[in-house]
Amino acid sequence: MAEAILQFHVCDDWISCALPDAETSLMASASLRHNPQWLEIVAGLDSLAVQFDPAHLDPEEAAILFRQQLTDVGKHALDTFEKIEIPVCYDDLFSPDLNWVSERLDIPTADLPAWHSGLQFNVTMLGFMPGFAYLSCQDKIAEIGRLDRPRSKVAAGSIGITGRQSCLYSFESPGGWPIVGRTPIKLFDSANDHPALLSAGQHVSFRAIDRDEFEHLAHPANR
Amino acid sequence: MSLHVIKAGLQSSLQGVPYRGHRHIGMPAAGAADCLSLAFANHLVGKEYGALAIEITLDDAKFSIGKKSTLALAGASSFLRINGSDQPKYEAVAVKPGDIVHIGSAKQGCRSYLALSGTFCAQSLLGGQSTYLPAGLGGFSGRSLLDGDDLDWTDPATMPPPTAPMPAKLQTRITNDFIIRITDGPECDWLAPRSKANLTESVWEIGNQTSRMGISLNGRPLQITGSANMHSAPAFSGTVQCPPNGQPFLLGPDAQTTGGYPRIAQVIRADRHLIGQLRPGGRIQFVAITPKRATEIYREKLVQLTRWAGNIHLW
Repeated sequence: MAEAILQFHVCDDWISCALPDAETSLMASASLRHNPQWLEIVAGLDSLAVQFDPAHLDPEEAAILFRQQLTDVGKHALDTFEKIEIPVCYDDLFSPDLNWVSERLDIPTADLPAWHSGLQFNVTMLGFMPGFAYLSCQDKIAEIGRLDRPRSKVAAGSIGITGRQSCLYSFESPGGWPIVGRTPIKLFDSANDHPALLSAGQHVSFRAIDRDEFEHLAHPANR
Repeated sequence: MSLHVIKAGLQSSLQGVPYRGHRHIGMPAAGAADCLSLAFANHLVGKEYGALAIEITLDDAKFSIGKKSTLALAGASSFLRINGSDQPKYEAVAVKPGDIVHIGSAKQGCRSYLALSGTFCAQSLLGGQSTYLPAGLGGFSGRSLLDGDDLDWTDPATMPPPTAPMPAKLQTRITNDFIIRITDGPECDWLAPRSKANLTESVWEIGNQTSRMGISLNGRPLQITGSANMHSAPAFSGTVQCPPNGQPFLLGPDAQTTGGYPRIAQVIRADRHLIGQLRPGGRIQFVAITPKRATEIYREKLVQLTRWAGNIHLW
């Protein structure tokens, strides 16, 4: 990366660097991950931050290291990231805003599941909750915004859409994204060594499933 | 049964070291909001600085002891009573089955830490056990303690040797008014010049919207100039963010890993344990220093603490 474009800000135990876009932040984050001096490496949508232990590393030294590592980031192609298909049930029970979204996008409600499961997404970042994924659609979609009144409870597995941006709720939580479906797959499983199902950079597509398959995937042991 | 919860109080949860190295999957730090009080309580019962202890918030709490143990209390609580008789805080106290431990509410400050010589049984994930309440992870079933809960612990192989009582000068003076040192945040220049001065010249009152996730600050509103439109960016415990209404808020240990508001300041690591003692109605004043000075202060603090408490880290 060209050193001239990098803008740093140094706090006492973390440093952030402004980057041109989400793709660059992702590449930089993946490329820096093996460096042991960083306690945390967190990508934003157009920035990257590293946290360090100031008992062992001076902020000035840390800034020099960070700058060096960022200038060494090569052009990893984004297609090195994995592809994953996530099953989604678009039944009324799981999609309280299907009508709201279909009106605003001018797509008949009955066609919305087929339309949505035909789209390709990238995971731009994980945040908000452990395993909560922000997705960006590769195709152009009109911006429809968030609900005027956020819900106090959105179910785990819910899929929200505001236009090109979509999200996957990993836990039940409050939220204002319009909800069009739900996956039975656990997006964060603390019993797993890698508890988050998704990681930033992954390519995501959705597969429409019916209620039976949803229940089967949600409770495999009952069958 | 090792410990029976008679009265859990407003919010009591198992907290120890934070989760580390998982913010990129959205996993916040969690862990003790006042890591210094946690370290003191743990050291007094012969444990590592970051071992799990019970974090008690504002209210009083009451437990009954099921197994012989040693306990220590550090932090904001106004008293420690065992079977009705007053016991010192910041000292190891032996307890036996049937003892009733009553921890007084906080008259000043916010949180107390009850450490026991046994090791609490708790949910583990990502190399940690602290309770992350918003997602129900870690700790005791991922949640705050409730009246009637029974907690288990495993006894240490050997009883810890008695620890010297804590030198009084190491104790944080727990009050309702703190001076907290900050460095500039990445978007500090988004503040109008007058507002940047206002941030450190004003006294900020701790609002009622206060939790382990964040603390609202009430005072003369700050003004953000230029592009108020910001993309989600990494934030940490101790980051001060300023939304368009000009009333800043301070992120706590459970705060989400990224945020969409200008990061105007960052509480220095040496002072971050004070965040756990901020209570609604309390007041703080910020003092701006350089990252270099913040690092010196942090290292000096560790040297002082290490003399009494051995290996210690703050977060």
